[in-house]
Amino acid sequence: MTGSKESFISNFQAPSNSHELRSQGHQYMADLPVPTRKSERWKYSPISKLVNSSLMTCSGEGVVWPEEILPNPIPFLDSYRIVFRNGSYVASLSDLPIDDDVVCAPLGDVEARFENEYHKSEWIGAINASYHQNGLFLKVGKNKALDRPIVVHHLTDGENIASFPRHFIKLEEGAKAEVVVWSSATDKSSGMCNGILEAHIAPNAYLVIDKVCNEGGEIFKFSYEHICQERDSKMKINTFTVKGHWVRNELEIVAQGPGTDSVFNGTYMPSGKEHVDNHTTMDHAYPNGTSSELYRGIMYDNSTGVFNGKVFVRKDSQQTNAFQQNSNIVASKGATINAKPELEIYADDVKCSHGCTVGQFDTEALFYLKSRGIGIDEAKALLVQAYVGDVIAAVDREEVKNEVMRLYSERHRWA
Amino acid sequence: MLKIKNLHAQVGDTKILNGLDLEVGPGEVHAIMGPNGSGKSTLASVLSGREDYEVTDGSVDFDGVDLLDMDASDRAREGLFLAFQYPVEIPGVSNMNFMKAAINGKRAHAGLDPIKGNDFLQKVKECASLVELDGRLRDRSVNEGFSGGEKKRNEIFQMAMLEPKLAVLDETDSGLDIDALRVVSQGVNAMRNSDRSFMVITHYQRLLDHIVPDFVHVLSEGKIVKSGGKELALELEEKGYDWI
Ligand SMILES: Nc1ncnc2c1ncn2[C@@H]1O[C@H](COP(=O)(O)OP(=O)(O)O)[C@@H](O)[C@H]1O
Ligand SMILES: [Mg+2]
Repeated sequence: MTGSKESFISNFQAPSNSHELRSQGHQYMADLPVPTRKSERWKYSPISKLVNSSLMTCSGEGVVWPEEILPNPIPFLDSYRIVFRNGSYVASLSDLPIDDDVVCAPLGDVEARFENEYHKSEWIGAINASYHQNGLFLKVGKNKALDRPIVVHHLTDGENIASFPRHFIKLEEGAKAEVVVWSSATDKSSGMCNGILEAHIAPNAYLVIDKVCNEGGEIFKFSYEHICQERDSKMKINTFTVKGHWVRNELEIVAQGPGTDSVFNGTYMPSGKEHVDNHTTMDHAYPNGTSSELYRGIMYDNSTGVFNGKVFVRKDSQQTNAFQQNSNIVASKGATINAKPELEIYADDVKCSHGCTVGQFDTEALFYLKSRGIGIDEAKALLVQAYVGDVIAAVDREEVKNEVMRLYSERHRWA
Repeated sequence: MLKIKNLHAQVGDTKILNGLDLEVGPGEVHAIMGPNGSGKSTLASVLSGREDYEVTDGSVDFDGVDLLDMDASDRAREGLFLAFQYPVEIPGVSNMNFMKAAINGKRAHAGLDPIKGNDFLQKVKECASLVELDGRLRDRSVNEGFSGGEKKRNEIFQMAMLEPKLAVLDETDSGLDIDALRVVSQGVNAMRNSDRSFMVITHYQRLLDHIVPDFVHVLSEGKIVKSGGKELALELEEKGYDWI
């Protein structure tokens, strides 16, 4: 295994900035094991096929943007835009905010202090620390509300590409921002996209993230979001996996003060042999926090899926209100989902509820629809739309909501 | 309109219908009565194409087509309607999208274009007023949070929208107070005409005071054991099912 671990990284090249993080990354990369099925966190998401492949990072020069992908993935959304191709910043397609109270730039141009320790616990994180390329740096000043959403668009285009985006967001006290994190890939693409996003939300600030994966080709897509919330801050993140060969979304939310509010939802509808893994962690360590989590998925064909939702309610976090719900419909015999809620509650005066279901289409509802002359495919489409539509309806921006619905409906041929 | 011959049906190894014969002519209203568990709902389910029920013998001719050969959607498109004993709640699917899909499914089957927006709205208005269905209920998800009476009214609303050739009403009176019973019956009576037939399944005779049948049949252990005119219902009410 060690042999392939070293050969796997042999064609990766890193920019020359952030020495400290990179050298830490190299150290942990050597020490940490490549995840295998033996590790609980990776049991249902094996990556040996990836590790045995031979990938390369791209320099970012000679950029030709492919015609079939719009640089602006939500054409009707009035937004700022920061665009990356194979990990490198594409200035010519980006349109950043210019404002005294806002710093928005490619990560490579500024100094960001990351605090997450993902690289110390996961080999996947250590590679990102070692080889991370570019990404969004966003800082929104005190009480400033960013006037438009920022779309962060990452494109993978090419065979056997390894890319390592890394994003940093900081909202100062009372600030507000909406960020759309969009990833796409051309159909001929293959390789890995290994991204990290860290966000700090100061007291009373509000961060909204809509994350959409709509990738063609055969990419192993890893993303890890680390969100730190200070006192009375709010955040809402929606994770929509529209399309992707192999997708792992890891979300970790850490309350760093009392009275935080965290909403995180997601949908996935893999088909063919696609794989979608959602690992979420909500860490309540202070009193009066609320969190609400809703993930819904439909597994088609021979797809495989994982949901793992950890909620910690630590000793001093009294009056926490934590809600978690994960429901799955397994629509085909060949599809599987491994769903596991993990709640650890150490405070006594709290309200926590959770539910996790794996089932089939509601046959009573299907029969009712059919008995009115609606064909089986359309009946299923109505139920599917209702099922995921409920989650998608929670998106604030009409344009984002509509585009996600449109992509799902195009893919699954709803009316 | 409908010719049922020697119908046998079962679920798993449980035989429920045991050689049922029944003919319903155009414009006729037939009441099917019988004790609980006699197979009334099963008959409705088998006719409408519910898949849990296996037909092991017999035939059903529906206006010249082999009913049993079609799936549930096509039976509905051919003009069969079932008002459910227990209407299903479908969260997230609006009543209006539901009805539009149903009407257009039927129209496509008949080679017609989808219904025009205005025509659809006009029809909704007419049919809703027929059963005094509140605008509020029309705009909600299918049956979600409806009371028993509201659900049954919604069934008749759907029937009016779909204009079936044959409507099977399964215990439409159960769970209705007297006002709702009156409204539902008025709706059904307004739909009666010389082409449209009804099969009214009920355990009690009180519904038949409002929807007066041409024929009454008694079902017992999966067979029709007695048939007569509307006075048979009164006799049953008086003497109970044990009398049969
Ligand atoms: N899906 C089913 N599975 C098992 N048994 C059934 C099912 N449907 C009906 N039955 C049985 O068949 C008999 C007739 O039921 P049903 O048709 O509902 O009667 P009714 O509507 O006249 O009360 C009952 O004994 C009932 O338990
Ligand atoms: Mg019954």
